[in-house]
Formats: sequence, C-alpha cells, structure tokens
Amino acid sequence: MKKNDWLPLARKLDWKFKYVTEAEVFPPQMSGTPWLKHHDWKQWEEPYKTTYSEYVRGQAAKDAGLDAMREAVGNSEHYKTLSPAWLNSLKLYGATFPLAEFAATIGNLRACRFARDSAWRMSACFGALDEFRHTQIPLLLMQDLVKIDGQFDWTQRFYHTNNWVAIAARHLVDELLLTSNPIEFAIATNFVFETGFTNLQFVGLASLAQGVGDKMFEKMVKSIQSDESRHAQIGPAVMKILVQHDKEYAQFLLDKWFWRSWLLFAVVTGFSMDYFTPLEHRKQSFKEFMEEWVLKQFLGTLDRFGLKKPWYWDQFLQATENYHHMVYASAYTYRATVWFDFVVPGPEERKWLKEKYPGSWPAYEPIWDRISECWRESDPGNDLAVHGTAIVTFCELCQLVLSNGTPNQNSACESVYQGKKHIFCSEPCRRIFEAEPERYCDHKDVVNRVLTGEAPANVVALIRRYFGLDYDTWGKDVYQGQYAWNPADKKGGDR
Amino acid sequence: MIPLYAFLEGDTIGLLLLAYPQETADQLQKKLFSMARTRVQPNGEYFVLFHGKVMDRNQTVAGLGLSALDRIDIRKGAAK
Repeated sequence: MKKNDWLPLARKLDWKFKYVTEAEVFPPQMSGTPWLKHHDWKQWEEPYKTTYSEYVRGQAAKDAGLDAMREAVGNSEHYKTLSPAWLNSLKLYGATFPLAEFAATIGNLRACRFARDSAWRMSACFGALDEFRHTQIPLLLMQDLVKIDGQFDWTQRFYHTNNWVAIAARHLVDELLLTSNPIEFAIATNFVFETGFTNLQFVGLASLAQGVGDKMFEKMVKSIQSDESRHAQIGPAVMKILVQHDKEYAQFLLDKWFWRSWLLFAVVTGFSMDYFTPLEHRKQSFKEFMEEWVLKQFLGTLDRFGLKKPWYWDQFLQATENYHHMVYASAYTYRATVWFDFVVPGPEERKWLKEKYPGSWPAYEPIWDRISECWRESDPGNDLAVHGTAIVTFCELCQLVLSNGTPNQNSACESVYQGKKHIFCSEPCRRIFEAEPERYCDHKDVVNRVLTGEAPANVVALIRRYFGLDYDTWGKDVYQGQYAWNPADKKGGDR
Repeated sequence: MIPLYAFLEGDTIGLLLLAYPQETADQLQKKLFSMARTRVQPNGEYFVLFHGKVMDRNQTVAGLGLSALDRIDIRKGAAK
C-alpha cells in the first residue's frame, strides 16, 4: 500500500469507550482545559505528516551526518582554533539547553498519553524522541570538550546546582515542560517557545557558528532545528482548536509564555550575537535578528489565529534594545557567579553596538567606560578587582536578576500577596505572578534564600558553597582585563 | 540590619543594601555608590526616593519607617 492509502487511517485511531467515560480516560487535570469532547478535537491535524519508518530513517541519516562531523572536527584541536570569546556561547547553550530538552521529553510523553486526539499523541511521541535526541547530542559533544576546559562540565552539572541561573532556568523549565498539561504545553512550548523563539534561534546560532568556523556546533544546531520545526507544528494545530473554544485563555497563555520565553532567549542568544561572536563574524545584531526572524514571523502567526499582540508589546520592543545589554553588563561584574567567561566590548565593538542600538547604547557607554577604568586601575590579571561584592537582587517570578528596563529607569516593581512583599523585574513578570499567585508565591528567590539562612550572605561563600563554582570553573574575563586598547595606568603596572 | 532593594540611576542591576536603623539618606546613598562602583561613577547631584517621595538627606531609616525588603531609588539630579 502507498503511504497515503493507510496513513490517514493510522493517524486517527481514537475509539468510543464502553466501560469508562471519556473524562475518566482523559481527566481535565491531566489533559488540560478547556475540557472538550473528542468530537471537538477530531479535526486536529498537523500540516506535515510522517510515519514511524520515515522518522527512523530520517533521524538515522541525521545522526550519521553528525557522527561524521564529530569524527572530523569534534576534537580539542579544532576547538583550540576558535575564538575564546565564542566558546562561551557553547558553554551557555550547553548548560541551559540539553537537560531542558530532556524535560521536554517528559512534557511530550505526557501528551503522548493525555492529548485528546490520536494524531496529536503520535506527533508528541515523535516530539519526545526528538527531545531525547536533543539531550543526548549536546551532552556527548560538550563532554568531548571537558578535557580542554572544565567549564564545559557544566553541560552536565548546571541543572543539578543552585547556581542563580540554574534556579531561574529550573523555575521556567519545571513549569513549561515538566508540569504543564498537554494544552498548555502545546501552546507554551510548541507554539510560543519553539515556533516563536528556539526554532529560529537555531537558524541564527547556526549562521553564527558557520561564520566563526565552528562546524560541529553549526551541524548540531542545524540537525536539532530540523526536528524542532517538525514537532513545533503541534502548537498551531492545538491553537487552531483552542481559539475556537476559549480565545481568552489562548491569549492568556500566549501573553504569559511569550514573556517568560523571551527572558531566557534574550540572555542565551543576545549574549552570543552581540558580545561573544567576534566582530568580523557578526552578520546582524540581536535586535535585527529579533525583528527579522521573530517579530515579523510571529506577528503573522498571531494574525492568522485572530490573536492580539501581547499587552506589554511596547515594553517588549524596548526590551529588545536593552534587556541583554542590562544583564550582560551586570553579569560581567558578577562573572564569578556563573560558569562561563566574558569579554569587555572594545572601541570597535562599541562603535558597532552604537550603530545597531542608536536609541539605547549611549546609556551603556558610561558603564563600560567605568569598567575599563577599573581595569586600568587594578593590578594586572587580578580578575576579582573588577567584580561586585554586594548581593544582587532577583525577580520573584522569572528568578533572573533585577536588570530589566534601562540604566536610567530600572523597571522593577512590587506587589504584596498575603501580607508578604514581592519584587519583580518588570510589569509583565508582576502580572504573571498576580494571575496565579498560589502557583508561584512559595518559591524563594536567591535573596530570600540568603535572608532565611538557606544560602550564605557572603558573596564568595555564596559562589563556592551555594552556586557550586570554584576558581577553576567560575567565570572570568577571557583576557584577564588586559586589552591592548585599554593600557593600565602607571600605578596599575605593566601590560 | 534592614535589607533594602536599592536602585541607582545609571546602573544595570538592583542591589541588596543592608542598612542600619540610624543611617541617613545621605549615608545610604554613599553606601550604594560604593556597592555599584565597578559599573557606575557618580557624577553630580543625587537624591533618595522612598515610596515616590524624596527623603531628606538627614532622615534616618528608622525615622522613615523603612522595613525589610522595602525599595529605595537613588536618582540623579537636584531634589525638587
């Protein structure tokens, strides 16, 4: 038989239950709301249909391609030829994504059992296999690099630590991937996170990797992206039915998850595009990438479903010009709290950033002037001389640092719930918290962990004992602050 | 000590400022300048805001009733 003769029947294998009710087989707590009879989900349809044998053949070919590339260039000698700044993109991606992908395996497996149509369940099954692959590949490839740089070990370690970035990533991943029901998972993960962000992020990262000559990373993200674009199609198929039955809830999920996804995306991709990629290899700024790949494409998708832009759209546009710059400058001066290294943008980089961000970059110039001045005044190579010592503050929703808004107006805002004060990095985070306070109120951010004695108050003790870093692995300046364009003051010694 | 959320205009991050009850607005300002020194070089006049109101330079933390996890902002310019 030809595929088209049997696949439509094989995709749709739902049947009527005799001994149990539909609601018992698919309880709303597990299958999600709005709870509709199967009749309403019957039209669920993914645009690109595949069979298991096609899937296995396709994946085997992709894995063979990756293996060949790993044989050729997946070795330490190749990585030694790459820009030391670029390697931090790999460390950041390597830590934050692979085990999040494993959590996505679990989210997909829940949909394999509790999604409301058999074609959806089958697509989620392929999605689960995809995500398991996306866990294994980077774990394997980054493991190859531990022997040249111990920071790569954080690919395995990151989610098992109480590092502040890991606390934030877990807060997102636990809700997005581990605990959401199939409807929220499909909208949050497939529709927003994958269709809106990561599917396109992989296009951008592959392009950067090609530019810097990192063939292994380029091949890996291209291979992963081809899976993402297939299983991301679950999202629009669910959204189509959801908007017919509960458009308000669809809009709520969209607004919530677009903001939550954006914050992590901005850090991982924004740092790579505007700071870690050597200037000569940059093809576009992070903001331009957002405009070209995310905004146009995503707004078009919203139109198709009759959905509105998220209510915070103006703040979001302002954030595309600021958020990753705010976090990068902050994290640079607290680099020992993370597992990757940083660079100071030099005069040429700053000129480029000013051209790309004419409206916002002037506010960051004095900050980098000050950091450069601190380096000039410090002893050569004394990395901790240009480092913060105060405890920084965190958003009680996203758990990331209070670094939203602009240098002239930090957008942190407060709220009181059941007599307890809470602080957030931004109005969207505050409103997400206030929409479901019981879901979030007991999660302690780092400040509250310090104040209750769960984490040490001394920054060095916090880094070593709580964040799990030591001198070998904590983040440093790639060049130890010794830049030819920033010669030391005489009192600071020779460079 | 009273932990306060503190935001300095020109900086990229909020910091946790540990204040003594008898410390004045002026002293809080100096403390935050020192905590943010790697990123911000203070330049010109600044004033301290609490709940949208300008703190008098000599007003104390206790006098104003600041309590744990309240927020202060140190803004650039002359107090109006």
